[in-house]
Amino acid sequence: METSPMLQPMVALILWTMLIWLWMYITRIPAMNKAKIDTANLVGGTGGNLDDLLPPEVQWKAHNYNHLLTEPTLFYAICVVLILSGQDYGLNLTIAWVYVGLRVLHSLVQVTINRVIIRFSLFALSSLCIIALAIHAALAVFG
Amino acid sequence: MDIAILAPASVLVLWSLIMLFWMAGARLPAAKKLGIDIAAKPGGRGPDFDAQVPENVAWKSHNYTHLMEQPTLFYATVMILAIAGGGHGLNLYLAWGYVILRILHSVWQATINLVNFRFLLFLASTICLLIMAINALWITLF
Repeated sequence: METSPMLQPMVALILWTMLIWLWMYITRIPAMNKAKIDTANLVGGTGGNLDDLLPPEVQWKAHNYNHLLTEPTLFYAICVVLILSGQDYGLNLTIAWVYVGLRVLHSLVQVTINRVIIRFSLFALSSLCIIALAIHAALAVFG
Repeated sequence: MDIAILAPASVLVLWSLIMLFWMAGARLPAAKKLGIDIAAKPGGRGPDFDAQVPENVAWKSHNYTHLMEQPTLFYATVMILAIAGGGHGLNLYLAWGYVILRILHSVWQATINLVNFRFLLFLASTICLLIMAINALWITLF
């Protein structure tokens, strides 16, 4: 199989997620030290427990990292479907890049100012991209 | 298509399902012991239950949830490498490394769960994924 152009937006969003992962730790680890959390003897718990202990803007990075591992899983699956069904060019390719662009903006809003109305608008727009791609994928595999 | 790299991905899918059974196997006896009637009221979810049971029971479910997070990027990266013909050599070793480290991370989180070592296992597995993702970018761009 020839390499597909649709692999590029997939990779871009994966690397963006890893960047947010890095951003999460760069802010979280100093904040944990500042909050005097005894990490050497800490047992159990999950990242979510830190919501009660750390400043909200520190946890916003973690919230966005988690967010990037929810709906984008559908994006990756749909991209693979579009590649395997030969629909990985033109409009679908553009929509895939728009999805990635909107998710990057969504991340930047959530980890910095985190105004919910802006975050919601970006998320709603990006979800419309998923819906469009999913309908095209359905037409390709059932049509 | 480079199908060799689909093997570690398949192993991680199966491992995630083993964790699902491990979680259920810990939860159901704990519910019985505590007299929680899981059929009594509608709408409950895992985290509601985790708050009521001993923490080492909840750890199994924490890890199952964890396996549904970053590994979704791993599967996408594996697909990209397989389709683009990059699923061999270093990428294949990294994929196996990722899966083995995630299995160790699961066993650790489900049993001893000292956070500093759990963090190191997660960090090491993430570095495997990061290198795979950079290689995926390389192979799809050029």
